Amino acid sequence: MTFRCFLLGVCVIVASSLGCSTGSERVETSPTVALPVSNSPLVTLRIGFRVGSIHEPEAQKGLNALTALMMGRGGTASMSYEELTERLYPWSASISAQFDKEMTVLVGEVHRDHLDPFVTILRDLIVTPGFDEADFARNREFLTNSVVSTLRGNDDEELGKETLNALLYAEHPYGVPVNGTEDGLAAIELDDVRAFHAAHYTKGNVIVGVAGGYPDGFVERVELEIVSLLPNGDASPMALPTVSTLDGREVLLVDKDAIATAISIGFPIDVTRADDDFYALMVANSYFGEHRTFNGLLMNKMRGQRGLNYGDYSYIENFIQDGGSRLPVTNIPRRQQFFSIWIRPVPHHNAHFALRQAIRELEVLVNEGLTETEFDASREFLLNYSKLYVQTTSRRLGYHMDSAVYGTPYFIDEIRRRLPSLTVTDVNDAIRRHLQSENLAIAIVTSDAEAFRDRLVANDPSPPTYNAKASSEIQAEDLLITSYDLAINPDRMRVVPVGQMFRR
Amino acid sequence: MKHLFNGLTMVAIFWATATVSVAQDRGDIFPFPVTTFQTENGLQVVGVEYDSPGVVAFYTVVRAGSRNEVEPGFSGYAHFFEHMMFRGTERYPTDAYNAVIKRIGADSNAFTTSDWTAYYIVASSDELETIVDLESDRFKNLRYSEEAFRTEAGAILGEYNLNFSNPVSLLQETLNDLAYTSHPYKHTTIGLLDDIKDMPNHYDYSIQFYDRYYRPENSVIVVVGDFDQSALERLSEQYYSDWERGDFVPSIPQEPKQFEERTTTVGWSNPTLPFLMIGYHVPAFSDTAIDMPALDVFSQLLFSETSPLFRQLYLEEQVVDVIQGGALDSRDAPLFSIITRVTDATRIHDVRDAIYEEIERLKTEPVDTAILDSTKSHMRYGFAMGLSSPGQIARTLSHYLQLTEDPQTVNRVYGLYESVSPDDIMMVANTYFSDTNRTVVVLTAEEGQ
Repeated sequence: MTFRCFLLGVCVIVASSLGCSTGSERVETSPTVALPVSNSPLVTLRIGFRVGSIHEPEAQKGLNALTALMMGRGGTASMSYEELTERLYPWSASISAQFDKEMTVLVGEVHRDHLDPFVTILRDLIVTPGFDEADFARNREFLTNSVVSTLRGNDDEELGKETLNALLYAEHPYGVPVNGTEDGLAAIELDDVRAFHAAHYTKGNVIVGVAGGYPDGFVERVELEIVSLLPNGDASPMALPTVSTLDGREVLLVDKDAIATAISIGFPIDVTRADDDFYALMVANSYFGEHRTFNGLLMNKMRGQRGLNYGDYSYIENFIQDGGSRLPVTNIPRRQQFFSIWIRPVPHHNAHFALRQAIRELEVLVNEGLTETEFDASREFLLNYSKLYVQTTSRRLGYHMDSAVYGTPYFIDEIRRRLPSLTVTDVNDAIRRHLQSENLAIAIVTSDAEAFRDRLVANDPSPPTYNAKASSEIQAEDLLITSYDLAINPDRMRVVPVGQMFRR
Repeated sequence: MKHLFNGLTMVAIFWATATVSVAQDRGDIFPFPVTTFQTENGLQVVGVEYDSPGVVAFYTVVRAGSRNEVEPGFSGYAHFFEHMMFRGTERYPTDAYNAVIKRIGADSNAFTTSDWTAYYIVASSDELETIVDLESDRFKNLRYSEEAFRTEAGAILGEYNLNFSNPVSLLQETLNDLAYTSHPYKHTTIGLLDDIKDMPNHYDYSIQFYDRYYRPENSVIVVVGDFDQSALERLSEQYYSDWERGDFVPSIPQEPKQFEERTTTVGWSNPTLPFLMIGYHVPAFSDTAIDMPALDVFSQLLFSETSPLFRQLYLEEQVVDVIQGGALDSRDAPLFSIITRVTDATRIHDVRDAIYEEIERLKTEPVDTAILDSTKSHMRYGFAMGLSSPGQIARTLSHYLQLTEDPQTVNRVYGLYESVSPDDIMMVANTYFSDTNRTVVVLTAEEGQ
C-alpha cells in the first residue's frame, strides 16, 4: 500500500534502527555524535543546524521551513528531485526535514547496503541544494496550504496549540507557526531561500548525528564530506528577547464552525533541560498531566471520572508527539520554554466547566504540591518509563544531540542520576518557583466564540452535563469548580475569526 | 516455500500444549526466529526473542473489530469496548491497574481496527510476570459498572469530535457508507455519531460483546524482546489456562457485487482545499492468492513518488499536494481507496480523470520489469527498516496473526510479492478497476469558506 501521512507541513520524521546492543558510544561535544550498533542493518544520519523560524525576517515568516523543504523535498545541483527519488526508492531510503523554532534537522535513513551512494546524495542536498524553481513553487504552496487549509480548517487541536503559541509569544520570534504565515510565505522569493541557506547552513551551526550499523571510518567520512564542505559561519546563537509577561488570564478565542471546543493553556517558564529544576518539574508534571497516560491527575479527573473528553495533559517544554507513539520527537530544543495544558476537544456545553476545572487543578497543584506518596509514585514511573524513551537507536541519537545543544550530560542518564536524589520538598519548591495560575494564556477554538467570551466575562456558574450520575464526591467537587472564579482579564480577551489567523 | 523446523518440541507441561520453534529460512522476510505455543484452551502465544536489553513488548490481539458490529445501531462498540478494558477488575480496579502500570513505568495502550483490537504493554523485562498477571486478569475477569460505562461514552464522543475536525474522517465515513450496502465495513471503526450518542444506553450490549469475542480461541499473545521463552510458556499456563473458551460465531453479512458507479459530494463548513476519494472493491486478504500482493504492487506503481501519476499531478502540474492509495489487508473484501487533496478547486475533474487514465494504462501496458524490480526492492527494504524495536516487531507480527493466526503468513506474503509479474498487475487492474465497481466522493468547502 502506498499511504503517506497527512502532515501539517512539519516533516517530523524520526528514523529508526535496531535497538540492539551497542558498541562504544562516541559522544563528543558538538558537532558530532556517533552511536555505532554493529549488528544493526540500518543507519540513521541526523544533520542538524542551529537555525529555525526565529531567524526569519519579519516579513518572510516561513523562510526557514521553505529552506528546509528545499533539501527535504527538493533536488541537488546535479540531480533533480525526480532523479533523487528514483535513486532512493528501491532502497526504501528516506531524507526528510524537521524544522522548529531554533533547530532544523535533515534526517536520513538507509539500509547499510546502500550507505555509500546515500551519503553522497545527502551531502549534495545539504551542501549544494538544487534550488529549482518548480521545487520552490511546490514547497511554498505546500506550506501555504498547511496554514490556510490544514491549520485553519482541518485540525482544531493543532489550531488551538498554535493559537496558544501566538498568544504566549506575541512580539517574540517564537510567535508564528514554524510553517510560516500566509503573507510571509507569499513574500518569499527563491533568492531569499538561497541567501538564508548560505547564511545559516554553516560549519558554525552544524551538529552531526550518526547511528546504526555503519562501517569503521564512516563518521570521519561524514565529517569530511559534509561538514568540511560547509561554509564557515558564526556559531553564536541569536539573542532572544525576554518573553512579555502575561497580564492576568488572557484569552484568545478563535471563531469557527468547530464540532467541539479545543482548549490550550500556558505560560512561559524560565526552565529548560539545562536547569536543575527541570528534573523536579518533570516529576511534578508527570503527576499532573503525563502525556496520554492515566498517570496524570488531569486525565484521571477530567476524562476518567467525568468523561469530559478524550484526554487532558500538561507539559514543561514544547512537545510534539513522535508519530503514533506517546513520546516526544527529539531535536526541537529551545532556549525558552513554556508550561502548557492541553484539553482535547470538549463538547461545547461542557467547555466552560472544563476550562474552570483545568485552571483550578493547576491552582491546587501550585498551592498544595505533591504528597510524599504521589511524589514517590511519579518518580518511580519516570525512572522506569524513561528507559522507553530510547527504544530505538535513532531516538537515542536524538537525545544525545539535544543534550549537546543544551550543554548537558546525556538527558536519559541525567534522569537516572538526578531523580533518585530528589525529595518531595525539592519538587514542591520547584513548583512554587516556576508554576503559577494567575497569569495564563488561554487559547480556545470554538463555534460561536462571541457567546463563549460573554460567558467568560459574566463568570456565571457552568454546571457540567454527564452521561452518568456522578458520585457524591465528584458532585461536591463540581460545585466548587462550577463557581470557580476564572477571573479572566476582560481587557486581554479577543475573538478572532479563523480566516484571520496566521495571515502575517 | 521451504521452512526449517528447529526442534519440533512437545512440551510436557500439560498434555495439550505444544511449542513450535521456527528458524528462519534464508528466503524469509521476517528475520527473527518465532516460537509458537498453545494452551489447552486454544490461546496461541507467539514469542520472538530479540536483542532489546531489558525491554519487552507484550501484545494481546483480539480477532474482533468493527467488522463484528453486525447489529444496526451498534457501530463503534469494538472500539468502545477497547476503552472499557481499562476500567478494571475485582483484583485490579481501575486505580490499582493504573498504579501498577505507573509503578513499572510501562507504555500501555490499545487500538482498534475494522478487523482486530490490540492491547499492548511495553515495559521492563523484569516485569514480565506482572504484565501477564495484569493482562490475563482483565481478559478473564473484567468488571465495570454501568456508571463507568456511561462515563467512558463521553471519552468516545470526545475521540469522535477530535477526529471529525479533519475532513478526511468525513470523507472516509461517506465513502464506506456509499460503497457498502450490507457488510459492516459500511461504517468506520469509531462508529456513527448517532450510535455514539446512544452508547450510554447500551451497557448490556457491551457485556455481550466481551462475552462473545474476548475468548482465548479468538485471541493471540505476541511477546517480543528480552525475555525467556520457557518462562513465557510457564506464565501463560499459569495465568491463562483457566480462561474459558467461547463458542460464538458471528454471522457477518456478505457484501453483494456492485453493479454501478456510486458518487456523491459533501461540504465542509470550514476552510479546506477540496478532497477526492475513490474506492474500488477488492478481495479479502489471502497468503496464497496473488491478487492482494499484486494490488499492493499496483498501488506503488500508481502512487509512489516515482510513479508517472505522482510526477504528473504532484511535481509537474502541482495540482495535488497529497495523493495516495491502496487497500488494507482485511479479513473480508476491503476497498482499494485513493485519496488526494487538490490544490486548485477548478481542477478536481482533471485530477480524477488523470487517475482513471493511469489505471486504464496499467490495464493494457505491461509494467517494465526494471520498474517492477525496483518496486519489489522498495517493499522488501521498507519492511526491514520497519523492524527496529520490540514494539514495531510485535505490531508487524500481530497484523499478520490477526489475519490468519499463522506466524508464517508474513513470509508467505513477501514470497508472493517477489512473484508478482507484469501479467498479474494487468490482471488485477482489469479485474477490479471497472467503472461499475467504483465509488467516488468529493469534499469541498462550503460557500463562504
